[in-house]
Amino acid sequence: MDALGYFTVRDLLHDRWRSLLTIISLAVVVVSYLLLAALSQAYLSFGNHAEPSTNLMIIDANALDPMESSLQASILQAAAQIAPDQILATFPSLFRHLDIQGHILQIRAVPLEDMQNRLSLSLLQGNWPVGGQQMVVTDGLIQVTSWKIGTVANIYGEDFQVTGIVRSSGSQFASIWMTYAEGLRLFGSTKGFQIGYVQLAPSANPEEVRARLQADPRINAQAAVYLDTTLADRYNQVNQNLLNLSLVQALISLLAITFGTYNATRLSLTERGHEILLLHVLGFTQAKLRTFLFTRSLVLTLAAYLVGWSISWAFITYQGMHAPISIQAAPLILSLPPASSLLGLLLSVSFAFLGVWLTTGPLSRRGLSALRD
Amino acid sequence: MSKIECAGSIEAAGLEKVYLRGSEHVAALNGVDLKVNAGEFVVISGHSGSGKSTLLHILGGIDRPTKGELSVNQVNLTGISEAALTRFRRDNIGFIFQFYNLLPSLNALDNVSMPSMAKGLSWKAARERAAVLLEQVGLSHRQKHTPGQLSGGEQQRVAIARAMAIEPCVILADEPTGDLDTASANSIVSLMTDLNQRLGITFIIATHNLHLVRLASSSYELLDGRFTQASRK
Repeated sequence: MDALGYFTVRDLLHDRWRSLLTIISLAVVVVSYLLLAALSQAYLSFGNHAEPSTNLMIIDANALDPMESSLQASILQAAAQIAPDQILATFPSLFRHLDIQGHILQIRAVPLEDMQNRLSLSLLQGNWPVGGQQMVVTDGLIQVTSWKIGTVANIYGEDFQVTGIVRSSGSQFASIWMTYAEGLRLFGSTKGFQIGYVQLAPSANPEEVRARLQADPRINAQAAVYLDTTLADRYNQVNQNLLNLSLVQALISLLAITFGTYNATRLSLTERGHEILLLHVLGFTQAKLRTFLFTRSLVLTLAAYLVGWSISWAFITYQGMHAPISIQAAPLILSLPPASSLLGLLLSVSFAFLGVWLTTGPLSRRGLSALRD
Repeated sequence: MSKIECAGSIEAAGLEKVYLRGSEHVAALNGVDLKVNAGEFVVISGHSGSGKSTLLHILGGIDRPTKGELSVNQVNLTGISEAALTRFRRDNIGFIFQFYNLLPSLNALDNVSMPSMAKGLSWKAARERAAVLLEQVGLSHRQKHTPGQLSGGEQQRVAIARAMAIEPCVILADEPTGDLDTASANSIVSLMTDLNQRLGITFIIATHNLHLVRLASSSYELLDGRFTQASRK
């Protein structure tokens, strides 16, 4: 075995508590980086529209939250009359968000035919809710709860059973969908409906139709017309702030991994100053010492990265299974993307190397006088 | 072990060393001339701060003079590169320190093996050689003990064995008995004189130990970075 390789192993094993402390201090930095990177990635993905819808929505102009909106059937009739050649269908939707079993979830009720054909909901598993006290849930809801097909949840004092899992084309909200009839039976009709949907013909220009509807006095007196995606954006008003926050977090995470690794490496090597000088006196050239120190730091850094990555993975997995994060019923999904993990590893190794490089210079300049201390 | 086949001579002329301490220039050596023949047992004495250690470090190639010329084994060390100086030190010079300076993570056998391994000897060969050296210094029964498990005298014996590992022409010892009780110190002195006489290794020792001064083939006294007194037997 090479002399320095042998010394590296003996040195790490001899002072195993100090080696362990170095690994722990580096692992803390790695965990900080990976969790911040995961959170940053989740923010970036939050509220993204996979496939913009061309539907329009009509909401009470005075409602800050769609749940507070209250519309009557006459407004949908008016919309159909304003642009009959460009509108294929209109239909009402009930909208609530409720705390169900500790999760803030959206509840939407639309006619089954519209749910299947006009809202771009695709059935991933199970069946559509055809009978009473049935519901389908979005895959976004599955991510923040432990629900599955067959789960029974109490909503407004009634037990509803999950019959299927659906995916909507827009923002991934944690939503429950039920038939309009069931919604009316559950919530009553005194508040009317909350959102009026307008399905446009494929040839229609959504913005042009929206402007026409909005300009009509039968609508603008009481309601506002939006593109379907606008609701998601309005609903996710925090989205832009989260995007900004994600950039700050990404920067902090990069600083954490770079300076954290560098400092931990330098601290560990400064503690070894005496031994390093002694090896130099015994005939190990500075190049060989750098190789030795880098090997030593590499072993510690890789061990710390493995520990840190495992802790982060375990935390994210546990958090996803037992305490998922959601903001306004939109799940915030944490994950460890391979690119972030690889970048963290490269930065850790690079800055460990920099720590070695910058430490060996001052040590050699101190000279052997330090050995008399 | 057979007699070591190398010159072991040292020639230094006008050695000066100036340190910068803060903004102040401190002269540790003020023009030291020294000529040591191969196989000599040289003692340099002087008060603390007189420049003894600085001189040893320069003679051993672990520090460079600010001014002056130095050759060891007829190799001029004044202008050679840092890497060449390290290689020269590795191949020719053994060191013994007051506080032993053993690597705390290694046992006695491994500590003695390190210089041989640095020189390129295989791990197995280096350890075999180290075992022989430890036996010669009377520590074959303490091979597996780390420095923390050895007494001061035993640690210094390990340090001497380590210095011997590369079959050096010259051994430089900086206060080798300074941290030892009288019995251990006498034992170390006997070991060093024996190695000098039996193997012909040149010893240069910085010390306050009067017993060592009396045993020296040449002795010098340093005061404020200059030799003030020299005696040669």
